[in-house]
Amino acid sequence: MSSSLKEPSALFYQSKAVKRGIIFSYWTLILLAVPLWWHTTSIQRLSLPESRINSRAQEHLELPVSLCVADVEIKSSLQSFLDAKARDDSGHWWGVKSRVYSRNDCPTTSSYLVRDSQTTIVRRNEIHLPLSNFPDAFETLANLINPPLKTNHNNRVVQYSRQYRLAFTLLNEDASAGSSVSNWDVRAGLVSRIQPILHKLEPLHNFTIESQVQFNGRLAFQPQENSDGSYGVTPEDLTVFINSAEWSLSSSVSNDPVLHFVLFIPSALRRPLHILSPDGQISRSRSFLLPQWGGIVIYNPPTDDTGKNTNLPSETNEQIFKEFSKELLSLLGVPMLPNGVKRHISEAANLSDWQIDALMRRRTAENVKNTQETLTSIVKLVNQIDNMPVKEDVRDDVQGALEALEQSHSARSLGEAFRYSAQATTLSSRAFFNPGMLALLYFPAEHKYAVYTPLFASAVIPLLIAALKEIVAWKKERRASVKDSSSTTDSNP
Amino acid sequence: MRLILFLHLLGILYTTWALNAQPVNDFFERNAAPGASKHTNNWAVLVCASRYWFNYRHMANALGMYRTVKRLGIPDSNIILMLADDVSCNMRNKFPGSVYANPGRHLDLYGDNIEVDYRGYEVTVENFIRLLTGRVDPSVPRSKRLLTDENSNVFVYMTGHGGNEFLKFQDNEEISAFDIADAFEQMYQKKRYNEIFFMIDTCQANTMYTKFYSPNILATGSSLLGENSYSYANDNDLGVAVIDAYTHYVLQYMEGINKTSQLTMQDLFNTYDPAKINSHPGVRSDLFQRPLNTALITDFFGGVSQVEVASPDDSEDDEQDFVSLW
Repeated sequence: MSSSLKEPSALFYQSKAVKRGIIFSYWTLILLAVPLWWHTTSIQRLSLPESRINSRAQEHLELPVSLCVADVEIKSSLQSFLDAKARDDSGHWWGVKSRVYSRNDCPTTSSYLVRDSQTTIVRRNEIHLPLSNFPDAFETLANLINPPLKTNHNNRVVQYSRQYRLAFTLLNEDASAGSSVSNWDVRAGLVSRIQPILHKLEPLHNFTIESQVQFNGRLAFQPQENSDGSYGVTPEDLTVFINSAEWSLSSSVSNDPVLHFVLFIPSALRRPLHILSPDGQISRSRSFLLPQWGGIVIYNPPTDDTGKNTNLPSETNEQIFKEFSKELLSLLGVPMLPNGVKRHISEAANLSDWQIDALMRRRTAENVKNTQETLTSIVKLVNQIDNMPVKEDVRDDVQGALEALEQSHSARSLGEAFRYSAQATTLSSRAFFNPGMLALLYFPAEHKYAVYTPLFASAVIPLLIAALKEIVAWKKERRASVKDSSSTTDSNP
Repeated sequence: MRLILFLHLLGILYTTWALNAQPVNDFFERNAAPGASKHTNNWAVLVCASRYWFNYRHMANALGMYRTVKRLGIPDSNIILMLADDVSCNMRNKFPGSVYANPGRHLDLYGDNIEVDYRGYEVTVENFIRLLTGRVDPSVPRSKRLLTDENSNVFVYMTGHGGNEFLKFQDNEEISAFDIADAFEQMYQKKRYNEIFFMIDTCQANTMYTKFYSPNILATGSSLLGENSYSYANDNDLGVAVIDAYTHYVLQYMEGINKTSQLTMQDLFNTYDPAKINSHPGVRSDLFQRPLNTALITDFFGGVSQVEVASPDDSEDDEQDFVSLW
């Protein structure tokens, strides 16, 4: 029996050196792992070019508008008029810097020629207007350069996007009631009315188009019956006209913003259907606009006794698409020409370069402002939320946005400034929405203790006790050996 | 003399034109009444954070809200419905494919037209925060994104089991009041909302909105700190509680509201009755910049509120714009 039970100190792993070696290696491993643990649990927060962002965010964009006039007197009076305009409404004129030149030192690129004439006509980069008609002509010119925002319509315009989807729908309320419109010539309408606009807007946006015909699109409300037997939609009902629960007006194939255009054909049982004004009178208008969403046109086809379905007559088709084109223009924020300004006959598409330029200036200013705000927001949020990671891709996008912003400021032409501003806003948004920027969830300190204590205490306490024991034993040994050695010296003098 | 006559004529013409334009302008001005919301689109994020059959009532809460906002005109494309567990398809559901919110089972909330955007295990704290902040993977489809902008009014409804400053997600993780507050701040910084209406039905719900610090947020919850939110009623055939009391009374009030209702948030909050609900609902409006009696219920529960009627003059031929001179 006794031979099988060895003396503990005789076991090889109970030998002092091995035991201490084991404990020591555990501790080395733990201590070596600490930096690794620290590294893997810390959040990577690269520094952002804060000072550069702050200085860029304060910067004023100056998109030059060069106007060339022949008369020197007019030159100075026009310049002071435009300066006063910009001073009086600095918010609206933000980013636009008008300068008037005399004909001789007119810049060769992207300048506008202002000529004296009896009627007001624009053609390409020229304008003919009666300059002698002092404040009015100048006012017209100012409105042409920077069209005033209508207070009621300021949120009608969709937010800038490089890509839009246009969804055209011919929607019969109830084709089963007969006399419905079974088809339309969408191609012809697009070619004659929509394409020329899209072509003109090419520098600003790309478009994809989809169209459909639907035969059952019930209204979610009951139109009111008028005294003359016709039906009416009150202004309140107009706000709920779109029955979004049941009508599917666009496909959801992409994340591009969609602009909807709906031709609504009322059921044969409820025709004609009119839009009512707030006082209950039948409005002459047959179309309306939902801001940032799209436009709706109501068309009442003649009711046929036989209930035969028809195709949309080509003339009506043309008119409908003309209304769609107007709605498209106002949704995209294309400014109208000021009252009294006419286009020259040679301008094939019904948009003048002045309109496109004004839109481009506004979009550039918007994009620049948007980028400035987004970049400052990123800096602010990163400083405010401690555990929000900032990785290389975010930093690169921020830097890219800053560079594009700087290039937009120093661009030579309006088109270039616009392109860089669009790039800046895309990059800054991408940086803001970077999926890696998701902050860690909030954990109060007591949660951390509650999580870490059961995990680490059970592992660390035995190690700690073993180490302490060994240290105590080692100290004791040392003291003993010192005593031993002193006694030996005593015995051997 | 002729010139004067001509000017008179012009004046008369202008007056007629101005008179014609009057109704349209009136219409716009009425819509732009002081205190009116200036949003152009509405979004709803409805979250049921708990799973398992016995939490039937939380699914019913979220679906009840879903039905209401849809009825009041928010399109499905603008509703993000997060439903952790699908009780309608649960083995223990005696009425498969249906979810009811009242003991008599009068109204099937599941119906035939339900679009659940995040379901089952997709309902996580991370996905919820990603949804709000817009920090989603580029491959995430449109239906799972909150594509809001500075003109959007967002209604956020949450329900589940919670406690002091937290809400449990699927018995697995928690979202804290700080996380939601930070997410809203990030939305504010990127101009992802015009106004937010935050509603939460959970135990100690009112603690969940105490940490908000971004402007234009109106918040309401079902119960005070240290107070439970209770269920409303059981259905004996289903064998579980079918809806929570707070949500039940809110939904009951909503049934009386239609798309063109002029009732306000103040009217809704006035109907809170602690005796019936069995807890003390709270409202936080210090971040909200409009008086509650001008904030329409449909500003958050309904579809868009603005329409512009084209002026009839627009439809006249514009060929006259083209003038030959050269």
